[in-house]
Amino acid sequence: MTLKEKIESGMFIVCGEIGPPKSCDGDVIREKSKYFKGVVDAVNITDNQTAVVRLSSIASAKILLEEGVEPIMQMTCRDRNRIAIQSDLLGAAALGIHNVLCLTGDYQKFGDQPEAKGVFDLDSIQLIAATAQMNSGFLLSEQEMKKAPDFLIGAAANPFAEPLEMRLIRLHKKIKAGARFIQTQPVFDMDIFACWMEKAVEMGLHEKCAILAGVMPVKSVKALHHMKKEVPGVKINDVYIDRLEHASDPKEEGIKIAVEMIKTLQSIKGVRGIHIMPVMWESITPVIVKEAGLSTI
Amino acid sequence: MPLNFVTYGKPPISVREKKISRFLLFFEDVVKVPVFGCQHCGECILSSTAFICSQRCPKRIRNGPCGGTGAGGSCEVYPERKCVWYRIYYRSKMLNRLSLMYKVHKIHNWNLEGTSAWLNVFMKRIDAPIWFVRGDKQKVKEILSDDAQRKN
Repeated sequence: MTLKEKIESGMFIVCGEIGPPKSCDGDVIREKSKYFKGVVDAVNITDNQTAVVRLSSIASAKILLEEGVEPIMQMTCRDRNRIAIQSDLLGAAALGIHNVLCLTGDYQKFGDQPEAKGVFDLDSIQLIAATAQMNSGFLLSEQEMKKAPDFLIGAAANPFAEPLEMRLIRLHKKIKAGARFIQTQPVFDMDIFACWMEKAVEMGLHEKCAILAGVMPVKSVKALHHMKKEVPGVKINDVYIDRLEHASDPKEEGIKIAVEMIKTLQSIKGVRGIHIMPVMWESITPVIVKEAGLSTI
Repeated sequence: MPLNFVTYGKPPISVREKKISRFLLFFEDVVKVPVFGCQHCGECILSSTAFICSQRCPKRIRNGPCGGTGAGGSCEVYPERKCVWYRIYYRSKMLNRLSLMYKVHKIHNWNLEGTSAWLNVFMKRIDAPIWFVRGDKQKVKEILSDDAQRKN
């Protein structure tokens, strides 16, 4: 079953995430794909995340396909104008990549080359709409294609930025533009997430798309402190910082927190899946999936 | 059929029109630059964004804020500034224009960059501004229920 069929059938979805290497070594991805095969439903391939140059997301997604893991290719608007975006999407479809996550992209200032020109020709909602239009058989120029791609369109949502209502308006717009699944920022504050989810359910948004809650297992307190200070749009409850600080084995505690979070998230109404996104710690995903009892495949 | 909110660009701009546009732009700038912080995109959506120019966003996002708005609504790129869309939301709420925030704005036509938006409205290249919104809360309800009906 493909991810699209799984989402349509209402199954509980589990996604992983791989960050491609900062070199041309495709074996890194082949190596990492072993952690995910038969463990998760699909794996996100990040597209130059935090504006740092990495192996391209299309090439990485193709490598994953060859390894028998279903990829979700991320597509950002930072590096491409509308011509490149359409061309890359067509290329991805030709290679057999059918899941795309549409993002605006991190600003280039945060990366290793802050002098770069940011493109931002489209924003994420317009990218979703453009992909939906391509699905219907038309390019942005209104030219009809001989063969239309068949993308499952995803989008991101941040439940933790203020104000809540504006976030829901944007989520509504994304769904209206054509998003079929939503991946949220990593949850580190369950109360805010539950509140956001409750409002989304009230608006009926959970029926129109599959909302996958983000879970980020962390190795150390340092990582949490870094996220709290440096990463925009992330809110971290001090309870987790305390717990990791006083743990004898922070790695073990990190896994424990992630498993607990998944169990709580499963009980929240409207959550259709989990998106596990450890940063540079991909090997932990199968452990967490097993401990949380998510292994469905 | 192509979706109508994705494409843009007609009719093309003639040389004569460009001259008129430059003339009009002078008067437009006198009003729009000091009052709204206009960035000359030529495709004005000020009336849908509670009269705050959305193009002052570093990413020039035309649809809502990005995911990086910090605590208290600070911009992720320039933390000393407030997120433009954060301000748009609160002013929309104050002016009872929230229903306009649900609108999906079209992809920017870069040919219109630096041209007079007033002339572009007159030439029917871009949508006319929406001056008054009546029954904002009712409209928001309709937008939400419309989608629910379409689903059923």
